[in-house]
Amino acid sequence: MRLSFPQRVIEYLQSSFSTDLSPACFAVDADLNLLETWGDARWCGLHDLPAQTPLLEKVPCLLGMLDKQPTTLEFVSMPDGSVAHVNVIPDSENFFVVLLNAKKDHDTLQEQQQAVNELKLLHASQTRLIGRQRDLIGELVEMRAELDHRRQAAEQNSTQKGKFIAMMSHEFRTPLASIINYAELATDDNIDTNTVNKCIEAVTRSAHHLNSLVEAILDDARLDAGNVAVNNEVFELHSLLQDLAEMMAPMAAEKELSFVSLVDDQLPNLIRADEIHLRQILINVLGNAIKFTKIGGIELAATYVNPKLIISVKDSGPGISVEDQERVFGAFQRGADESASGAGLGLAISLRLAKLMGGEITLDSSPGAGCEVTIAVPVSNVADDTSPGEPILSAPPDETHAEKSVNVMVCDDDPDMIALLEFYLHRAGYSLVISTNGREAVSKTLAYQPDIVLMDCNVPEISGIDAARELRRNGFERPILAFTASKLSDLEKSEFSAYFRKPVPIQQLLAEIKARTH
Amino acid sequence: MSALVSKVCVVGDFCVGKTSVVERFVNNQFSDKYLTTIGVKVDTKEVELSSRGITIKLVIWDVAGADRFGEKEFAYLRGTDGLIYVADGTRPSTFDSLNTLISQIQTRIGDRPGVLLMNKNDLIGQWKVTQEIKDKFSALVGATYSTSAKTGEGVEDALTNLGEQIVAGQLS
Repeated sequence: MRLSFPQRVIEYLQSSFSTDLSPACFAVDADLNLLETWGDARWCGLHDLPAQTPLLEKVPCLLGMLDKQPTTLEFVSMPDGSVAHVNVIPDSENFFVVLLNAKKDHDTLQEQQQAVNELKLLHASQTRLIGRQRDLIGELVEMRAELDHRRQAAEQNSTQKGKFIAMMSHEFRTPLASIINYAELATDDNIDTNTVNKCIEAVTRSAHHLNSLVEAILDDARLDAGNVAVNNEVFELHSLLQDLAEMMAPMAAEKELSFVSLVDDQLPNLIRADEIHLRQILINVLGNAIKFTKIGGIELAATYVNPKLIISVKDSGPGISVEDQERVFGAFQRGADESASGAGLGLAISLRLAKLMGGEITLDSSPGAGCEVTIAVPVSNVADDTSPGEPILSAPPDETHAEKSVNVMVCDDDPDMIALLEFYLHRAGYSLVISTNGREAVSKTLAYQPDIVLMDCNVPEISGIDAARELRRNGFERPILAFTASKLSDLEKSEFSAYFRKPVPIQQLLAEIKARTH
Repeated sequence: MSALVSKVCVVGDFCVGKTSVVERFVNNQFSDKYLTTIGVKVDTKEVELSSRGITIKLVIWDVAGADRFGEKEFAYLRGTDGLIYVADGTRPSTFDSLNTLISQIQTRIGDRPGVLLMNKNDLIGQWKVTQEIKDKFSALVGATYSTSAKTGEGVEDALTNLGEQIVAGQLS
């Protein structure tokens, strides 16, 4: 390529270059002192500068720019607002500084770049907004799902509550109506004593039924409120199962159902668990089995698979469909038979109590094939529940020891219980007379005249209650203390000097014996 | 001209407030209007370093915003004594850009005294600066400041600190 141009072209280019860029040239020494000026520097405020003017003060961007190589800086905005392309050209010891007016190009470029940047900011803002919108939509969807869930729960709750009120209204009205009607009938002058007694029995029955309904509702409420604690204590498992069998067998017999209780030989007697909760669970489950079974019978079986006590209640009732099996463990549910009486809380409470004890309840059933409910709860077998070298039973405290010669009659048919009482009473310094049935207890007491009698209420031949009555009739006036696993009526309590619920609190019993014999 | 004159460059992504920070520092003024910088704007400001009893004149090069530098931008950085890194606390992407710029600058011209300005703290409600970001840039730059060109908060302190760093470097 030829680098020389015709003179006319050179003149045109020079003219055009000068017009567009208004070049100004300054010769400076190495300290940036002005030596000479060319061109028009008015556009950058550097005109009419005398020689030796320190140019760095006027053009601060020249700091550090002097180099052996030519240097160009584009679009340098000066403090006075002018914009220049700055060129520094070395020339021997000195330098030429050539400033080209770039204001026009700068402003054009700035306008374009401004638009681009604003578009970028807008885009970033849009992206942020879209992200936020997406987040909000996500939150909205979640919130809506939560609201739907709550609404459904509230509706379900409301439906359940409505059903509950309707059901309870019916459940309460029936026994209340019975109480009112029989109470009115009992006040009628024209009825005989026999009818009055029947009225009282009916009123009592209905009142008990009402009481059990209220108890069930309160139990459920207590469980809801978390106010139910597990209270593990040592008690006699065999006695509990026997009590239950004695309680349930007559109810089954009333419906002409058989009732069988099968207890494994290996089942421990003294166990540590929450007896009250276990009793309640079994009463609920056995009660349901009897309630829903019309033909056949009920079978109660108990085994121990360390560390679990497993009790199954099998019935020959109508059975429960798979769909209903989960539902029957819910509160206020009665399976398929909505006409059945009761609050529909029994199984729900039982399951919650079993879980509270660390156990579970399972159900095996199909329509027409009866039902088997299995309760499995962890218990401690007291015989195993000892550390090496530690005595199974600790000695009674000194303050409970007898301070004179005292004979104690113990009547109980459970050899474990007798062994337990022997252990403590002997160590506390008491003499014992043992009897294993009610009739024998009466004869031995009258013969030996012990200072105090400890009587189990559920003993063979005659019950502990009848034995106490007979002793009083025969003039025995010394204290008779009762043990019972079930509640006593006020009348029954009056036969005894004091009574203890099983499991018997030994320290309390010893204190009571001492207080009544010293 | 004072014996102590130093060139410092202000760098960062576009619209992070570089020009506003310089305007606040040099002229104690602020404008809400965004006007993009083309090329470079050069200004000067004398800073008193009271702890040393001296004054340093800073020649401040406000370099046009970029998320990475090319040859033209590196030409502006030639002979710089210090760097003012600026990011926008409301735009996390500007910290990413700054990370790139710091890496490029350190590779090209080596370590220089520097301060990081996390700008727009007057919009603190919209800030997206995590502790992780703060820790990272504190390790990269050293001195970090939460600033607002709008209110002036932190600006003077940051540039005085940079002046201190430059003087300390020159005296050693």
